[in-house]
Amino acid sequence: MKKSLIVIAVIAVAVLGIFVWVKNTYNRLVQSEEGVTAAWAQVENVYQRRADLIPNLVATVKGYAEHERETLEAVTAARANATKVTVSPDQLDEQSIAAFQAAQNQLSGALGRLIAIAENYPDLKANQNFSDLQAQLEGTENRIAVERQKFNDEALAYNRQVRVFPDNIIASIFGLRTKGYFKASEGAENAPKVEF
Amino acid sequence: MSFLMIFLSEMMRMTRRGTMKAVLVALLLSLDAAVCLAFPQRPQPERLVNDFAGIFTPSQVAALESTLVAFDDSTSNQITVVTVLDLEGDTSASYAYRIGEQWGVGGQAFNNGVVLLIKPRTERSGGEVSIQVGYGLEGAIPDIYCKRIIDNSLLPHFRNGEMYEGTVAACKDLMDLASGEISQPREYGSAEDDVKEILLRLFLFFLVMYILIKITNRRGHGGGGWGGGSGSDFGRHVYIGPINSWDWGTGRGGTGSFGGGGFGGGFGGFGGGHFGGGGASGSW
Repeated sequence: MKKSLIVIAVIAVAVLGIFVWVKNTYNRLVQSEEGVTAAWAQVENVYQRRADLIPNLVATVKGYAEHERETLEAVTAARANATKVTVSPDQLDEQSIAAFQAAQNQLSGALGRLIAIAENYPDLKANQNFSDLQAQLEGTENRIAVERQKFNDEALAYNRQVRVFPDNIIASIFGLRTKGYFKASEGAENAPKVEF
Repeated sequence: MSFLMIFLSEMMRMTRRGTMKAVLVALLLSLDAAVCLAFPQRPQPERLVNDFAGIFTPSQVAALESTLVAFDDSTSNQITVVTVLDLEGDTSASYAYRIGEQWGVGGQAFNNGVVLLIKPRTERSGGEVSIQVGYGLEGAIPDIYCKRIIDNSLLPHFRNGEMYEGTVAACKDLMDLASGEISQPREYGSAEDDVKEILLRLFLFFLVMYILIKITNRRGHGGGGWGGGSGSDFGRHVYIGPINSWDWGTGRGGTGSFGGGGFGGGFGGFGGGHFGGGGASGSW
């Protein structure tokens, strides 16, 4: 009788201990995942900011460089494509982010060519509206770089938690997967160089 | 037996490789630390004007510092001026961003810091300048305005070699813009928390008062052995204690808005503001 009581008490303590451990680990993981999601929202924000600048930029350039139609259309098409590729916050895996980044890089490349063309039109370069847009574009590219870095930092912190033992057991039970990263080199190659 | 020998030697090799790896990692880390050292650390004591390149005279530094500290005190916006001779291969925008983020320029609640980074012309490289704006001031100082400040206030002076005049003109523009958005006299510590704390303490104070009055009243009626004297003694112990802890217990006396002592109060320190890459850059 007494023995069975002790056994029950030990089991109860063990169950309670496991529960507390699972709860704490899970809550920590979820909190960290929220940090990643918030950082992703910021990333989308700044990319959207760039997308919002483009129609204005295209319209301004068109006024001075009508016959550069090909480049202008490439930018418009790349923008349309890039805004179509979105990643839902609970699908931040390697492939989704790579696809997102590829679409945005295509737009970066097209934008870079557009800015390069502008160099050939002195009237356009002297236009106040154009130089304002260029300043905004430059600031936005910096913001993109910053928010991508912050996202990668958050994702790294989260991935570490998901992968270490024994937290990885909890993570796999609740289906918490590692997040993807932005690849630095690709973006650095294609980011438009804004010269003044 | 031979199997065991192979296994053992393999283990030995692995551990040896492990130590090699550790040494390599340690080397790389120390290299990394050396690289980090080149980047200007948060100055000690903290100050808003950090002329690492030595382009201002001491009196100019003092004048600029006192203007910026006064602006920080009156509006809580922190504008820091940093000059360096070398950007270490980085862009001026990214360098200025890192200064803002790592030093924590601006308050934590408002993220209202601005970094004005100047890399003067040297024999081998052109001059570069960048203004980076904290998250909280992006609305008050948009990128276009930063660009215009650089093009219209800074660069005309800088091209003539008037470094101080250009910097003062830019700071004046930035101050005009920033004070339009956030203009809150300096409070060390979050103002919101303070209000909450005061309210809570007031509530507790009245609660304790109420209970004490009730108790002393009842005691008074009950009369008998509990003399009036002993009752009020009890009261003093309980509620004079908390009053003392209101005035001195929060520790705000020590956090230093007057910490500079002597004249007009020194700079209270960077507040831990964050930056998002907004702003503009230019070169000459």
